[in-house]
Parts: sequence; C-alpha cells; structure tokens
Amino acid sequence: MARTVLVYVEVSDGKIEDHSLELIGKARELATKGGMDVGALVVGHGVRELARELIYRGADEVHVVDDPRLGTYRLLPYTKAVAHVVGATSPEVVLFSATVVGRELAPRVAARLRTGITADCTDVDIGSWTDPLSGRVYENILYQIRPTFGGEIMAAIVTPQHRPQMATVRPGLFPIPQRDETRSGRVVEWSVELDEDSLDSIEVLEVRREMRKVDLKSAKIIVSGGRGAGPKGFELVRELAKLLGGEVGASRAAVDAGWISYDHQVGLTGQTVKPDIYIAVGISGAVQHIVGMKDSKIVIAINKDPEAPIFRVADYGIVGDLFVVLPKLIEKLKQGRLPGGS
Amino acid sequence: MPLNIVVLVKPVVDPKAVVRFRPDGTIDRSAAKLVANPYDKYAVEAALQLRERYGGRVVGLSMAPPQAADALREVLAMGVDEFVLLSDPRLAGSDTLATSYALSAGVRMIERKLGKVDLVVCGIESSDSNTGHIGPEVGEWLGIPSVSYVDTVLDVSEGYVVVKRLIEGGYMKLRVRLPAVLSIAGTSYQPRIPTLRDVLASRRKQITVVGVDDIGVDPSLVGLAGSPTRVVRMWRIEIKRKSKIFTDTDVDALVEKFLEELRKDGITLSR
Ligand SMILES: Cc1cc2nc3c(=O)[nH]c(=O)nc-3n(C[C@H](O)[C@H](O)[C@H](O)COP(=O)(O)OP(=O)(O)OC[C@H]3O[C@@H](n4cnc5c(N)ncnc54)[C@H](O)[C@@H]3O)c2cc1C
Ligand SMILES: Nc1ncnc2c1ncn2[C@@H]1O[C@H](COP(=O)(O)O)[C@@H](O)[C@H]1O
Repeated sequence: MARTVLVYVEVSDGKIEDHSLELIGKARELATKGGMDVGALVVGHGVRELARELIYRGADEVHVVDDPRLGTYRLLPYTKAVAHVVGATSPEVVLFSATVVGRELAPRVAARLRTGITADCTDVDIGSWTDPLSGRVYENILYQIRPTFGGEIMAAIVTPQHRPQMATVRPGLFPIPQRDETRSGRVVEWSVELDEDSLDSIEVLEVRREMRKVDLKSAKIIVSGGRGAGPKGFELVRELAKLLGGEVGASRAAVDAGWISYDHQVGLTGQTVKPDIYIAVGISGAVQHIVGMKDSKIVIAINKDPEAPIFRVADYGIVGDLFVVLPKLIEKLKQGRLPGGS
Repeated sequence: MPLNIVVLVKPVVDPKAVVRFRPDGTIDRSAAKLVANPYDKYAVEAALQLRERYGGRVVGLSMAPPQAADALREVLAMGVDEFVLLSDPRLAGSDTLATSYALSAGVRMIERKLGKVDLVVCGIESSDSNTGHIGPEVGEWLGIPSVSYVDTVLDVSEGYVVVKRLIEGGYMKLRVRLPAVLSIAGTSYQPRIPTLRDVLASRRKQITVVGVDDIGVDPSLVGLAGSPTRVVRMWRIEIKRKSKIFTDTDVDALVEKFLEELRKDGITLSR
C-alpha cells in the first residue's frame, strides 16, 4: 500500500469547506515531496457524491463513511469513524483544519490511536530529522510549524516514531487547488460499526448559524468595531468605512452583542483577513481576534486604554475615546484631507 | 443533585512576561513567575457557579513542578475547595498525550477519594502551549464524552448536562451524557476577584502533592518517554509593526498628529 497523506474533509450544508480544499492542495505538495499519495476522508450523510470533486481537486483516493446516523457532527461517533478508517489504512500523515470541529475531533482521534498531534499549525512541511540523543535519522517526516506562547514564538515539532503524524492546520493560509476534471482516483466506501453508547452520548438540540454574505477576504480597507464601540459607535465605524470605501469588520464580542451580523466577524471563529489597512476601533486585541487580522499590511488601532494589547500589533495607535476621535477623524477626512491623497 | 467537579488548572509562565531563551534555544522558565493559566479562571468560575447552583465539591487538579503551588493559591481563594498537584520529575517533558494520560489518572485518584466525578472542566487552551488538546484527550483516556468551546453550561439533570457551544457563525446546543469533560471558552464567565477574606480563608485549604507512584500511572507513558512529539526548534517572530502611538488631551491635535504621520509615511487612507 502506498504511503499517504490523509486529509479529513469537513462538509457544511452538502458543500466541501474551502479550508478542506486548501488542505488537499497542501497535502498534494507534501505528498510530491515525500513520494506519497493524497487521501481524503469524508464522514457524514449524503457525502458520497463529493468524492469525485475531491479527486478533481487533487486526491488520489477518497474514503467515504456515509451513514444516516452521521448526518450531524457529533464527537464520539465521528471519532469512531475516523479512527476506524485511519486504523485500517495506516496513513503516514493525517491533517485536519484547525476549526472548532477539527480542534476537538483531531486530538480525540490522536489519543485513541495513541499518537502525537500538533495544534493550529501555520505551516507543515516534509523533511528529515536527526534525533540528537540517538543519532538516528528520520527521512521524509512531517514538520509541524506553529506559533506558541500566545503567538510570540514559533516552534517546529516532529513526531518521529508514532504513526500517523497528526496536525490541525489553520484555515485561510493556502490557495485552493485548481479543479482538474481529467484526474482520476479511487473511491473506498466504509461501513463503520457505530455503537449505541457513543451515538447516545451527545444529542444536538439546536443549531444556530448565520450564513456568510460579506467577503472580507478581498477587502482593501476594513474598519472593525469591538465591544468598546457599542451600537452607537458602530454607526461611526460604518460611516468611516463608507467614507474610505472599505468594509465593516467586527470582534466576536460585538457580534455576540448583536450590533452586527456574524459575516463581519474577524478572528479565529470568523474570517481571516489581509487588507492593506485594518482599523480596529474599541477592540482590545485578544489572541483570537489577532489571528484573524495580523497579516494586514497596516494596522491602525483606536482605543482608550493605552495598555490594550491591540497596540502591540499596531503600526499607528490613537489612544483616546472613540466617540471623540472618530467624529473628529471623519470630519477632517471629509474636509478632503485624506492623507497622501490630493 | 450535588456535583463532584474536577477543574484542571495549568500553572504557566506569566503571559505578560517576555519569553526568554537560553543560549541553546530552549525556553528559560526558571526566572519567570508562575500564575494560573488565565483561560482556566473562566473554567474555575464555571465550576464554582455550578457548585453554587447544584451543591457539591470543586477539586482543582494540576500537573506542574512543586513551586507551582503558589500559583494555585489564587484559585483556591476564588473558592475551589482543594487542590491536587501532580508533581514528579518523571513527568517532565510530557506532551499533550502524556499530560492528558497523567491528568486522567489524577481524576481517577480523586474519584477514589471523593466518589464519582460528574464533570471535568478545563480551559479552552493554555497560554503557553495553546493547543486545546487536553480536554478532548482526557475525555478519551477516561472514555467519556468531551465538548470543546463551551460557552455556557445551561443545565445539569438526570445524568446529562446541557451546554451552549461556540461554532463558526453561531452556537449549538448540546445534551451530553455525564460524566463529561467540558472545555470552557472564556466568553461568558467573568472570573470572580477574591476578597481579602477569601484569600485568608484559602490559606487553610489543602494542596495535596502526589507523584507518579501515588496515582498509579505507567511511567513509560509519561514524560519524554511517553511523548510522541518532539519540539525541534523554537524562534521568536519579529512583529514588524511601526508602533507609532499617539496621545493628546486635545482631540484636534491628536487626530492631526496621526494624519500628519500617515502623510509623512505616504499612506493613503482611502481605497
Ligand atoms: C474559542 C474562542 C473563539 C473566539 N473567536 C473570536 C473571533 O473569531 N473573533 C474575535 O474577535 N474574538 C473571538 N473570541 C473572543 C475573544 O477572546 C475576545 O473576547 C473578543 O475578541 C473581545 O472583543 P473586543 O475586543 O471587542 O472586546 P473587549 O475585550 O471587551 O475590548 C473592548 C475594548 O474597547 C475599548 N474601549 C471601550 N470603550 C472605548 C471608547 N469609548 N473608546 C475607545 N476604546 C474603548 C476598551 O479599552 C477595550 O480594549 C473568541 C474566543 C474564544 C474563547
Ligand atoms: N499541566 C496541566 N495541569 C492541569 N491542567 C492542564 C495542564 N495542561 C493543560 N491543562 C488544562 O487543559 C486546558 C487546555 O490546555 P492545552 O491543551 O495545553 O492548550 C488548559 O486550559 C487547562 O485547563
């Protein structure tokens, strides 16, 4: 059997998530480097039809666990399904997206298989490693690269002896591979024995989810408001965004408060954005927010607390009350004094 | 129904301190002060609120070197009843698989003393390793359900807990069989600040230090030997930001200074 890099594919409303396609692309790169195949694993109900699309995107083989009882994601039965296929096919590497599902499911599977796992990687690579203690050389193993200590420090991690080598990888970092309808591959259907005990362990009572409408990813300018803005402040945030020809973003606190809809949220559980200019208004700068905007070209922060962590990732910071600063800024910009402009 | 709750608290290098490297590239933890992982205080708050609602006992569990005891005092002052501190040189170098194995053995030990544990609550991630793995992995070792990204615990009854869980774009309400592990996302529990009286009272509370032999773990499954992963290299990322911060009591002057600087740097604010 060929050595494989397996990607766990997330499906939402019958559609393959973009971040899973990104991972297939990345897996292709790793597989080429290490002389491996790309596998994809999709679990759910009515997901069989997605296999061909995964092949077009770069998978050599697609493993499908299609079962009406797996229609909604529940941790224990999904763990069972994933661990079953991984156990039976012995991939070298298994990659998950670092989403709320991936970051819960992947460590659970890793513990079941008694192997190592690295969370929230910003990159993965194939290389060789020499164990300084034993002198033993490991060829073609997975380098798992991730921030740690709250993002200040990067670490490279390997799993020399245990298989599979597992990692969750942050969404939004790699391009989605082109669709190639000439590609062919193998589809393997699995039926997994699901015991009542794990099926009964978790019941989904309710799902509330807003659909995504606003695309912040391609915005050049984003003005984001946080808890500090309040509903009134958001009017100022919107006005500034409009004046600058940009989009409106938000922190989760602002979304949770209901001042703006979820599709504007930036951060770990929102969108990852890379505008030319990101203006954070009344946002403290929690790590979960920063991971979503730290690759912006220029960051401007307006906050009344000089100690707010957002200032540590800002190019320009205005310490002041946004209810005073924003109206003044808007006024001056309206007077045709856009800096650098005419 | 009174609940037996174990709360997992990780003593970490104070996240406000700047991380220092030794010449060989490893992190120097010796000088830094240890504090309770900030995210774990949300978990502690959740556990305390559950105890207030249903009665029962909240036992803290930590795996750390003995000097971490000081960091746990603060959590005892918040209202945790007692602490078990798992400390043993053989635990050094444990990754998340080994740590979760040792902690699950710690939960079992507490269970032998206290009776059945209904809930294990932990933080969503630690400020130093930021993995969020421990919750699901402890659940796996104990063979019980786990839920990550829990926003609020809504109800506990008849052997089930109902939780609101964060997902991309919203929330999910789940009914989960007990016992269960819950990783609390720090969004809706505001950790209480202990009063002076709480602090004084906490001095009488017990921190029981136990080792590998006391909790009956297989020494080959903990420490470096029991850890599949190896950290190969660590390096600091330079945040390349200009960090030009403006303050002024006069808002006109403040905004003007800011705009002037943008002009100087050749930055256009409009698209
Ligand atoms: C699992 C998980 C996922 C998460 N995902 C995300 C995510 O995707 N995106 C996200 O943003 N967060 C996310 N969070 C939440 C995150 O941890 C923070 O709680 C959130 O980002 C805080 O939002 P905030 O900065 O708007 O609010 P706060 O932290 O309350 O900050 C408000 C700021 O406004 C300032 N302020 C107040 N009044 C004024 C004024 N008049 N003028 C100027 N400044 C003022 C204050 O000084 C303060 O700094 C997540 C958390 C968890 C646990
Ligand atoms: N050494 C430890 N001792 C006690 N609890 C821990 C330890 N490590 C992790 N935890 C718990 O597990 C959560 C997730 O941590 P982590 O997986 O390291 O990001 C933390 O918020 C703690 O509640």
